[in-house]
Amino acid sequence: MNRPAWWRLEANEPFRLGPRMLPGRVWTASGCFGYGLQAHEFTTANGASPYAGLGAVVTKTVTPLPREGNPMPRLVETACGALNSIGLENVGFAAFLETVLPELEARGVPTIVSLAATTPEDFGPMARRLHERAAGFAHWHGVELNLSCPNVAEGGHDFGSSPATVARCVAAARAELPDRALLAKLTPNTADIAQLAASAREAGVDAVSAINTVVGLDVDLRTGQPYLPRRFGGYSGAAILPIALAKVDQIARGAGVPVVGVGGIATVEDALKFFALGAVAVQVGTAQMRDPFAAARIAAALGQWSSS
Amino acid sequence: MNGRPAPLACVGEVIANGLVSSAFHRLDIALDRVFTFQPGQFVMINEPGPLAWTFSRPFSVLAADDRIVSILYRVVGRGTQAMAGLAPGRPVSVLGPLGEPFPAPVDGQTTVLLGGGVGLPPVYAWWQRWGLDGDVACFGARDGGEVPWGLLGGPWRISVDSPGCVPAGRQATTGVVTSLVDRDDALRGGERTVLLACGPQPLLRAAADLARRRGWRCLVSLEEHMGCGYGVCKGCVVRVADGDTVRNATCCHDGPVFDAARLPDLAAEAGGADAGGAKA
Repeated sequence: MNRPAWWRLEANEPFRLGPRMLPGRVWTASGCFGYGLQAHEFTTANGASPYAGLGAVVTKTVTPLPREGNPMPRLVETACGALNSIGLENVGFAAFLETVLPELEARGVPTIVSLAATTPEDFGPMARRLHERAAGFAHWHGVELNLSCPNVAEGGHDFGSSPATVARCVAAARAELPDRALLAKLTPNTADIAQLAASAREAGVDAVSAINTVVGLDVDLRTGQPYLPRRFGGYSGAAILPIALAKVDQIARGAGVPVVGVGGIATVEDALKFFALGAVAVQVGTAQMRDPFAAARIAAALGQWSSS
Repeated sequence: MNGRPAPLACVGEVIANGLVSSAFHRLDIALDRVFTFQPGQFVMINEPGPLAWTFSRPFSVLAADDRIVSILYRVVGRGTQAMAGLAPGRPVSVLGPLGEPFPAPVDGQTTVLLGGGVGLPPVYAWWQRWGLDGDVACFGARDGGEVPWGLLGGPWRISVDSPGCVPAGRQATTGVVTSLVDRDDALRGGERTVLLACGPQPLLRAAADLARRRGWRCLVSLEEHMGCGYGVCKGCVVRVADGDTVRNATCCHDGPVFDAARLPDLAAEAGGADAGGAKA
């Protein structure tokens, strides 16, 4: 694809997001690249790195306590995407803070930490401990609040679809996070995502990420039952790109807050559509699972245009 | 990663793709650089570009020769159906080698290889890499037609569920694949024997049970649907005992090779050992 006439961004140049300069505008999405530590040995024939040009790795979501996640099966491939029901399996906040984040820092991985909790007030102590432990970290750039993972029975869907609850989560984190970027990742499973974004803005976020997965279900015709033990999963992949574009457009035109586009991005063309609507950055999710170089490829393509 | 070869991501080209038995296809892919792997490791396969499936498909490496990597597959779903239609010259994306391999042979140790059905590649690759020096290689299939006779030379002991379609001049025992070694009184090595197995769950249970009875170490290569193949999505977890606790491990990154003694699903009380025997 050739450089579009409207393209003005420097995708791989630092840009300001709230109190922080982020190194680039192409990121990996939460849950699709682990903690950002498992692809360092990967290479291509021309020696490329999956981390080249990445503006940020948004980590797998971390919760206050370790979680084992949901029973198997956890993934269902569909015609144009996939359903997942991982259940926020993660090492827990304490282990993440003591072992994972320092390793990301040592490796120089630009990092945004994805956090989830079961009450809005839980975000405050996690943000404070991050601020205390990682104050000197050069590569830890911010926090993304996962307010919309629809897989967690004790919160999930409803947790992030109330503007008042979103505001409480954001306010709790913002109060403890003076010098890092704060993002809220919003659910598309709501009537008015722009209203959620506006609430997040008023409570102090620097940007919102849109969208998280779409609630979906698939049926195993051999049994007549849903494939996933918890029936519903989060739908992602190519099929949700137009949904994500619509939600990003609603936010960009109606909420007055910077938006990071995520949902179905696999190619530079996909990413460009979000930038065309006004997104300040994009995240690559499901495509990163089949291709650890997906985000780096997009960053490289956009970077070429920026410098031309 | 324990000295594993660094994984390569590239787009290769199909150079051969066809049946090697009534059920198993062999796909040979030419890459743009030399491919090295350890027996038991796997690659993720996909169509490049806009035809890509949402998730790549994992396949144990059957063989690698300089720049050519070969896999074995059975058509079971959309992905493998599409693979069966890949003509020579078509591009294929390859990510790998990935995962924890089978161990190399140790002096003074006897290795028993046990493959069932499309679970052949890890043990085949071990045989190709290290040969048999007092070791034993066994393969079980549904019938003689399913056995890739052209791949499996003289030393292989073959079992079939039903005796049809065994070619002239070749031998196959009717019964479960573990019976090929169960009757072998020469294999009494105790701790000096290690059993490497890959195949369907009943075969793995039978292998674990056999190893328990003989006092052998047993390593199994598990098959699981995978999202990413490199440990990031947590879509292929298996329960693994870690001392007194049982925790999740990823089949793709922590495995696919696990010590059977650490897998509760293969424990004696899981009940499968004598229930069905090995079926390919």
